[in-house]
Amino acid sequence: MWLRWLTTSPLDAVRDGRAIGEPGARMVVIIAMAFGAAVLEAWLRGEPGVLRAVAGLVVQQRRRTLAGDRLLTLLGVVGVALAATLAGAVLPIQGPAVLDSSVGIVWFNAMEVGVWVAVWLVGWGVNAVFPLVGGYRFVAQGLAYELPHMFALITVALGAGSLRFADIVAAQRPVWFVVWMPVAFLVYLLSALAMAFWGPFGEALGRDIAGGVAGELGGVDRLVFSGGRYLMLAVSAAAAVPLFLGADWAPAKTALVLAGLVLVRQLVPGVRMDRYMTFAWMVLIPATLVQMLIVGIVVL
Amino acid sequence: MGLTGWLLRIAAGRPRALLVATPSGARARVLAEAMMTDRGWAVALSPGEASVLVVCGAAGAELEAAVSVVWGDISGPRALILIGDDQVASEVGAAFDGAVALLGDERAQRADAASRVPWVPDEVEMAGMHGHHMGDPAGVPMADRGPDRDGLSLDRLHVPLGPVLVDWPGGLVADTVLQGDVVQEAAVRVLDGGAGESFWDAPWVSAARGEPVTRGRGERWRAASHLDSLGRLLAVADWESAARTARRLRDRLLAGEAWASRRGSSVGDARLVRDFGRFARRVRGSRVLGWMLRGIGPVPADSGLGEWATGDALDRMRWWLDRTGEALLVLDDRTPLQGDDGPRAAAHEGVSRRVIEALPSLLAGAEWAGTRLIVASLDPDVAQVAHDVTAGRRP
Repeated sequence: MWLRWLTTSPLDAVRDGRAIGEPGARMVVIIAMAFGAAVLEAWLRGEPGVLRAVAGLVVQQRRRTLAGDRLLTLLGVVGVALAATLAGAVLPIQGPAVLDSSVGIVWFNAMEVGVWVAVWLVGWGVNAVFPLVGGYRFVAQGLAYELPHMFALITVALGAGSLRFADIVAAQRPVWFVVWMPVAFLVYLLSALAMAFWGPFGEALGRDIAGGVAGELGGVDRLVFSGGRYLMLAVSAAAAVPLFLGADWAPAKTALVLAGLVLVRQLVPGVRMDRYMTFAWMVLIPATLVQMLIVGIVVL
Repeated sequence: MGLTGWLLRIAAGRPRALLVATPSGARARVLAEAMMTDRGWAVALSPGEASVLVVCGAAGAELEAAVSVVWGDISGPRALILIGDDQVASEVGAAFDGAVALLGDERAQRADAASRVPWVPDEVEMAGMHGHHMGDPAGVPMADRGPDRDGLSLDRLHVPLGPVLVDWPGGLVADTVLQGDVVQEAAVRVLDGGAGESFWDAPWVSAARGEPVTRGRGERWRAASHLDSLGRLLAVADWESAARTARRLRDRLLAGEAWASRRGSSVGDARLVRDFGRFARRVRGSRVLGWMLRGIGPVPADSGLGEWATGDALDRMRWWLDRTGEALLVLDDRTPLQGDDGPRAAAHEGVSRRVIEALPSLLAGAEWAGTRLIVASLDPDVAQVAHDVTAGRRP
């Protein structure tokens, strides 16, 4: 049963003519992955006990700041998880996507950008200096990562000749896209970290600004916001599989990519956008354009 | 009731602790950090995240006032740990146990919550309307304006750094004026300075008093002090994992001290030297870290701060790594400690005062993202500084 779950591919499901339904089960898989990422991170930090930490946030009283905008803050707190869920809806995770859209890649990109809004709203809404600084950091980060990210996604769409995730997966039999689009894959992994503001791209929640955007969040607010971040990380890892890593063993491959993303936080210090921006625009954008050109010539 | 009590008890074993460093509290802070690591407590980056406030060392009047504001700002369930300058590990451990018990005690937490003065934003806002200019939202003054470096009139935001701030020198406050993300002005002051005797200078101070101190002990302290500074710098650079390693090495060095003095050379030291080598290679080899630290807080050779400070944050980090590596080679040296060459230049006339005096000009014009790195890469020891030091014009 377990093995069957691991080996189920979206294509098999489509071929078998099975129902697309069970979005709840799909969601459970992603939430379990996000939880696993949190457990791994806590273990690596030497702060085990994720369920205890959750309990601590459940019993902690909520926090209000002077002249904060409660509505905007709440929208932002919930927004990260919401954006992650909507972005994940078009992904074939275990079986076909919940929302099998013909413009899946565009949808994924648009929803994932919702995280920008959410993070910025929290940073702005609580009306405190460090969260505001963090919010602006994230906007700058968005400007740095988004263009290379979009070019990487377009390269994949070009290679598959479709914006639908199911078609993209089908186009990777027998050769995975990672084999002939390595630059796009690496750029995508950077974006995956950036969109979940994780590891080197976690400066919006930086230690130098006392936790930044999340600094004034307590109790359930913090729990939902942090949970949303892990969910976004899991969704961005899950998207790497249909985009670059072929069809079969999707949950297993997602888990591997996710574990790798979690590990990066241990290996790399924070990256400041005042320096990264130049690299993103001067190196990553030209590199993705060259990659796209090569893919374009191949598919001609 | 039953469910809340159960959740409280479950959560109590994994608190989120915010450390407050004090000028004379380096020893207490090192103990607290080591104990948190041992127990797997999470580090809180802000009062909003914290459930435990740990005050490391004796706070003077000004710092105590700041601590009490922060304590009032921590949501329940909460616990306060006060660690005295001279407390030993077992006492600190008991205080940590007490905090866990208190966090899990539903009746005590409910009583605490009931005794707190409720904060009603509307009343504060009303008071603000009367007490301040009309139009100041919630009584908080609006940002004023001033010319920026290009002569444009821009909003000026007054942002203090410290004294209660994670990975920040105890008792230091930097009042900055921001325009956009550039620090236009900065003034640095010291709250309740130490008695002029620093934990990190202890071996040299003892030796000067004529007490028998070996050179090995002095070098052990030097290495631990530099590892402490490295831990702070790496934490501010958002590389928590490397910062943890630096602090763990520091704790092992200081813990080895008691053992080594009884039994001669410690076998644990060989392993420590090896582990430090691995850590140093990892930190030195990080191209991303080099990329982020290069050019931050440049200090010219004629600054008067000394050779260690010359260059940028990356140079200073490498200097600490080099000195630590050299110090670790002579931990067994039983010859008497001579001279006054402590971790921060002369132990009796420490360099920290000059660092603090140099900070305003180093911070002015720096990008906000680099300010914490500048301070952490110079890591002044406020215990070396008398009470009245201020530097820069208070904005």
